[in-house]
Amino acid sequence: MINRFSKIYFDPYLFFSIFLISILGLFFLFSASNGDISIVFKQSMYVIFGFFLMILVSQPDPDLFRRTSFLFLIFSVFLLGITFLLGPEINGAQRWVRIGSFSFQSSELLKLALPIFLATFLGDKKLPIQPKEVFISLIVIVISFFLVARQPDLGTALIIALSGLFVLFLSGLSWSFIGGSSALLIISSPFLWNVLLQPFQRQRIATLFDPGSDPFGAGWNITQSKIAIGSGGLLGKGFGEGSQTQLNFLPETKTDFIFSVIGEEFGFLGVLLLLSIYFFILMRCFYLALSARDRFCRLVIGGLSLTFAANLIINLCMVVGLLPVVGMPLPFISKGGSSLMSLFFAFGIITSMGTHKKFLPQ
Amino acid sequence: MIFEERQVEKNKFSLRAIFLFGLMGLGFMAVLIQVFSLQISGYSEYQLAALKNKNYSVPVQPLRGEIFDRNGRAIVRNESTFDLITKPNLIINIEIFLDQLTPVVNLSKVERSRYLKSYKEKAFVNKELVLKKDLSAEEIARFNVRSFQFKNAFIDKRYRRMSDYPKLFSHVLGYTSRSEDQYQTMPGIPTSHWRDAELIYANGSIHGKTGLEETHNDHLVGQYGRRVFEIDARGKLVQALEYFPPTNGLDLFTNLDIDAQKSAAKSIGNRKGAVVAIDLKSGGLNVLYSSPSYSINKLSNGLSVDEFQALISDSNKPFFNRALQGRYPPASTIKPAIAMYGLVNKIITWADQVDDPGFFTLPEDGRVYRGWKKGGHGQVDLRKALLVSSNTYFFSLAYQSNMNTLADHLASLGIGKKVCADCFDEDDVFVPSPAWKYKNSNIAWFKGDTVNIGVGQGYLLATPIQLAYYASIIATKGKFYTPSLTSKDNQDLKLEYLHNKEISQNDWSQMHHALTDVVESDYGTARSIRNLKKFQVAGKSGTAELVGLDSKEAYSELRDTESLRDHSIIILFGPMPNPQYAVSVVIENGESGGAVAGPVAIEVLKSLIND
Repeated sequence: MINRFSKIYFDPYLFFSIFLISILGLFFLFSASNGDISIVFKQSMYVIFGFFLMILVSQPDPDLFRRTSFLFLIFSVFLLGITFLLGPEINGAQRWVRIGSFSFQSSELLKLALPIFLATFLGDKKLPIQPKEVFISLIVIVISFFLVARQPDLGTALIIALSGLFVLFLSGLSWSFIGGSSALLIISSPFLWNVLLQPFQRQRIATLFDPGSDPFGAGWNITQSKIAIGSGGLLGKGFGEGSQTQLNFLPETKTDFIFSVIGEEFGFLGVLLLLSIYFFILMRCFYLALSARDRFCRLVIGGLSLTFAANLIINLCMVVGLLPVVGMPLPFISKGGSSLMSLFFAFGIITSMGTHKKFLPQ
Repeated sequence: MIFEERQVEKNKFSLRAIFLFGLMGLGFMAVLIQVFSLQISGYSEYQLAALKNKNYSVPVQPLRGEIFDRNGRAIVRNESTFDLITKPNLIINIEIFLDQLTPVVNLSKVERSRYLKSYKEKAFVNKELVLKKDLSAEEIARFNVRSFQFKNAFIDKRYRRMSDYPKLFSHVLGYTSRSEDQYQTMPGIPTSHWRDAELIYANGSIHGKTGLEETHNDHLVGQYGRRVFEIDARGKLVQALEYFPPTNGLDLFTNLDIDAQKSAAKSIGNRKGAVVAIDLKSGGLNVLYSSPSYSINKLSNGLSVDEFQALISDSNKPFFNRALQGRYPPASTIKPAIAMYGLVNKIITWADQVDDPGFFTLPEDGRVYRGWKKGGHGQVDLRKALLVSSNTYFFSLAYQSNMNTLADHLASLGIGKKVCADCFDEDDVFVPSPAWKYKNSNIAWFKGDTVNIGVGQGYLLATPIQLAYYASIIATKGKFYTPSLTSKDNQDLKLEYLHNKEISQNDWSQMHHALTDVVESDYGTARSIRNLKKFQVAGKSGTAELVGLDSKEAYSELRDTESLRDHSIIILFGPMPNPQYAVSVVIENGESGGAVAGPVAIEVLKSLIND
């Protein structure tokens, strides 16, 4: 099945499920933008381009990614540096880098480069992995985290750190180390709370536990999102009929809170369908990871797909009120080119790693 | 890496992948459970919250009921006026818009600047705004032919509470005024939405402040309706969703008679006083007039501060409702009541004679109480005492009375009680009695106090409506109805009886004859009015002394000060022998009762009987 096309590397399960979710995403975006067809048109251009990118990235042998992984990491960090020095400041944050008329979020590249680099670095090490290797990996993760966190973009920084940690964990990090560092993290959490978090981020966490305490301030988003989803009921209010969405009670409908639009207009059944497709994609990645040809491919598929899953679940938990509000788009559906490109890029790499087989053992 | 090592690594990876993917699976579960609890368990709660977000209800004002007289003629109407309403959100260029409209509706600079001040705010939330109030017929016509130019403006009806007889019924009708929070407690409409209420009255949310407008407010007011708009997060009106029309107030049909009220006002002229007329068949109040009066139209539709100040500082007290609140000594008009007390308690009979030398001497201390005629009336029986209004006869009768039972008797005739079923702010005054005097002044009751009450002076005070009530009891021979302004309870009118049932039919009919002779005979004190009409009437006049004096000479000095002159009072009922109406008239400082108050009462009776 996997190698039905002799010359083109292609995974039909991933391809069609992503295709389905992208098409659905365009419909949702149409409603979320109060019927603004130009936004949908622009987004569909990204989607079409994304599919070409994904197919293109699927073709090279995984060795290409292994050999270029360090360069890729350096390039990503370089772009972050440029962003920091030259990028325009939008809403108090420097996240964008502009090349000609094309601008994108530089942190999206690091989200790919870091797990691939760590997979390369740890992929040929003896088991169990040594403290020195763990230390080097952690240094790279922490540097990446801080580079993005100071933009400031805590959501993406956390995802990047997670992408590195996933690879480290999958490559066989010892349980005692995990236990020890978790304890350290818990002990230092008050310090992190005060030093790492901006006041508005602290406020977001506080309102999560009591959104009613400040219904028109920081709690407004959570409250309105819950009302939107809850009032959708089993079947939803219908396409373009969600009062929370269409009358602008719901904030950020095109980006972070687009899931609330889906919940309001398509109800529990719509949510169930959407989550099933996402879950199917994840399970397919899980299968590809287990059946990949070598350790490097396993680690990359695992790292990238788990990063995708973490991204998805953090967004969902945020809009349903289980996590504080952090800027995090809903994969394949939220408006925005950068995250969409990086997603298609990631799934291109996953396809490449999952479909290239070596028939001769090394 | 050797094969075994790869196998170990692969197994280890698989376990860890299962662990992490499993964690993600748990994440999916958590989200799904939360979505379930929001959409399925919490559905009704969140659905309500979503509706509460987008639905904006505003109250819609009902039309207030109109008020009619007993012949179905409108006393107070809802007069429609026309306002020019705009939709600021549809205006593209405000200056051009106003320039175009200025010649059409004669827009003043004040109106223009007032509009410019608030149109932006209204435009932002898609709400309407009044540009000009009370358009003339010409302005309406000019606008209508050009209305195709103005998709953003239209003419709408607004109402004003108006009476065609603005000064005739002021005290009895009362006026309406804008209510700030009277009705602002409608279920489902938060107080803040009242600023967007759809008001059809030019002066907003109105309620009755005094008079019938107040006492029958619940009947007249109707019930607010509701219009539900859909709004967006910024409070913009998106569309109208539902409309629950208001229930208009009910019309009020009163017992008042416009013509009789007119004749009362006309014959009082600009003197101070009051007229009350009662329909004996129902207790209906046909006339209730207090002079001087004021315009309720102005009060209901906006009065300048200066005008209002002028009204309340007027020394003639136009706001004072003399018919219901004026306290006057009933003077000689009380004599029939004293006579009935004497008859019932067997102190006197119709045949008993008393010598009237022109004064009565109190046996206890020799104090002299004078009559109005020097030299007196000679031998007088009860009939003559009533005809010539002999003070000595009634001084003597009162002297023989027990003040406690006399007080009860007066109370049963309306003294000291609110006699009207639905009048606004009626004064009940008080019943003079030994207990009352002791309580109020800590001084014991003297026999002389009782003697004064025998001629309706001293501590005895009554309002014009109490006098009319008392007249109606005599006129109906004790079978009367409670006076009321409205006919809504006509079906279950209750016939009342004077509690003193011992008054015999003979006494009643003798009383009617005697009181008829007061007007109709050659000796009656009110004979001056007998030629003013074609029918016969019965009654008793009185002259209330404001200052107790011993001689006529002293009074003629006093006369120069108008406010100290005697009040002129009369009670009349007719046509005899089967009376249909009872009337009381008080003219302040009018002096001689029969000659001054009498013609007023006759005019009112004529108007009531001839209709």
